[in-house]
Amino acid sequence: MIKIINDSPLYPIANPENIAFFGASNNFFSMGSNILQSIVDFGFEGDIYPVHPKEETVQGFKAYKDVMDLPIVPDLAVFVLPTRLICDVMEACGKKGIRHAVVVTAGFREVGGEGIALEAKLKNIAKKYGIVFVGPNCLGVVNTYKKLNTTFLKMEGNPGFIGLASQSGSLVTQMFNYLAQHGVGFSTAFSIGNAAVIDLVDCLEYLGACPDTKVIAMYVESIDRGRQFVEAARRISLRKPIVAYYVGGSEIGKKATFSHTGSLAGPDKLYDGIFRQSGVIRAHSITDLFDYARALGGLPLPRGRRVAIQTHSGGPGAAAADTCGRLGLELPKFPDETIEALSEFVPHTGSINNPVDITYSKNQTDFFIGIPKVLLSSNVVDMLLMYYLVPDSMLQGMLVRFGISEEDAQNGNLDVLNDYAALMVNMLKQYNKPIAGFTFRNLKEQFPQALMANGIPVFTSPEQSVRALNALVTYTQLRQKIQLQQV
Amino acid sequence: MDTIRILIENAVQRGQKTLSEYDSKKVLASFNIPVSKEYLTTTVEEAVQKAQEIGFPVVLKVCSHHIAHKTEGGLVEISLGSTDAVKKAFERLMGEISEPIDGILVQEMVEGKRELMLGLIRDPQFGPCVMAGFGGIMTEIINDTCFRMAPVNNIEAADMLEEFKSKKMLEHFRGQAPVDRKALCDAICAIGAIGLEYDTISEIDINPLIIRPDGKFAAVDALVVLKGENDDQDN
Repeated sequence: MIKIINDSPLYPIANPENIAFFGASNNFFSMGSNILQSIVDFGFEGDIYPVHPKEETVQGFKAYKDVMDLPIVPDLAVFVLPTRLICDVMEACGKKGIRHAVVVTAGFREVGGEGIALEAKLKNIAKKYGIVFVGPNCLGVVNTYKKLNTTFLKMEGNPGFIGLASQSGSLVTQMFNYLAQHGVGFSTAFSIGNAAVIDLVDCLEYLGACPDTKVIAMYVESIDRGRQFVEAARRISLRKPIVAYYVGGSEIGKKATFSHTGSLAGPDKLYDGIFRQSGVIRAHSITDLFDYARALGGLPLPRGRRVAIQTHSGGPGAAAADTCGRLGLELPKFPDETIEALSEFVPHTGSINNPVDITYSKNQTDFFIGIPKVLLSSNVVDMLLMYYLVPDSMLQGMLVRFGISEEDAQNGNLDVLNDYAALMVNMLKQYNKPIAGFTFRNLKEQFPQALMANGIPVFTSPEQSVRALNALVTYTQLRQKIQLQQV
Repeated sequence: MDTIRILIENAVQRGQKTLSEYDSKKVLASFNIPVSKEYLTTTVEEAVQKAQEIGFPVVLKVCSHHIAHKTEGGLVEISLGSTDAVKKAFERLMGEISEPIDGILVQEMVEGKRELMLGLIRDPQFGPCVMAGFGGIMTEIINDTCFRMAPVNNIEAADMLEEFKSKKMLEHFRGQAPVDRKALCDAICAIGAIGLEYDTISEIDINPLIIRPDGKFAAVDALVVLKGENDDQDN
């Protein structure tokens, strides 16, 4: 258990002031060179010390023949070297006084045979010198607030609030673009690889204490320190939501068991219970993992499970209602005063029931401000879900009618657009109730971009958006349960 | 050492892989888990006397740690409504067995339409874990189970019952009362406590646990699996 983030063994790894880099050269096709390039591209502000046996300079940096030649003891060493060299280099770093490392290099426990012994040897060397390292066989660390990226892909998008601990490096590096598309980003992300020293629990502790992280996402293949995981997750989930996507190994399934209980204890069922006990929301796909993280990190928690759905098209609204029903979310019947207030906005062809279907928005301000205000102020509504269709072409036409020049309208990023989004965010804050949107349009269009930039998550299907709202409800319930147990 | 610990240690020392049903229930009862009323008997006279004491109908079961799955082996006689029936059943069961046994278990016939299952496993990562689920002979087919890491408290046990897909069976059901939830949660917690207390117990099955018409319940069959000397499970 750590009290503040600086106490975490991961702190110097995620927040180094300077880096010794092993395995980069002037050959731009090598993995090491790529990773160094990512660090440079992101604009890492500390000093970088490449160590290379032959080169005088590496990618423009002065290179050193030996770690002993470095003018300082760097906070962090990054290894992207051939497997056979790692142990010697770790030993040399230890002698130099380096105490933190990222071992990207593979060829250890994951390959079996001699790799297992080699990993044990590496751990022993690290232990001898008190070196804490991430990996081996990993992509290391991304800290967007420290402009650090030790993966081989260039960082894309903005710093965000999602902290990630992953047993797959791909979920770190290949999600930069995906998250950016959805208007979110990582705060800090760890690829833990074989977890020889630093494991999921360490990352959970770090992200729990990380002030930039509002929600923790985890990609889990197996949890080694199970009991510590539950203890840490129960403590952290009281303050910060945790979402986990577990892809089952089969630790128990493989074992012959004597009892019926044993034969029924597939790891999948077991993890269902363990996550629920730990206050962890379980996602069943990568899409859900980040959808839930977007909702949990960006929205206030609902007071109950009652959803108001607002739409101008029957089908998508009905699909959202159907998904609510399947997941146990309620669609409350509106009281008279709400119906009266809504009738001002809804034409006779529409429906004032839930979903509220206005069929055609004659006035965008009604749709995006007037109706949501009525719904959010109703005491039978805990959450608002909006379907909308605002293609760029429609938006531009609308803007032109407002008197904005065609050129400006096409460029987007306009005050009027941001005003809408800002007004919606104000409502969210005023009523302290979650609002989510969904559309089948491309999220790159101006309207979803404006909403997402202002913190309102937009999803690309009714099912996804309702599942994300349901994750908010589940988290609220699990947190209440754990709070009760603290008394 | 308490009597239960002695019972378990002795069984482990003798190399037993399991405890008999009778001994398994002693372990459960020592943690206040309700079990069916029963006596271990060795003579037909004793069996008849105990059956009369319990009240008809009764169940007779062969009791031995060598035999884990009695029903499949035809070693159970149920719904015995008279002294004669008990006598006949006793003779038949004695004639069936080839292994050494502890005796014949004379047991109350627990009424109730609803069957649950409780259990304990040891996971290599999470240690002792408690299970609650749909019980009876359809257990594997229905496959409705919930797990938690021990220790489990009453709030967590109640949450398990919420997670249970068949949770409606815990309410009013065909003229029978809702289950005593508090007692059921206590029993779930107790399973976890047993797992934490006795390292040498590797698994527990209670199946079925029958909910009586008045909402109370009893463990009707139980199996405690012991960790063998050569078992390398490190929990």
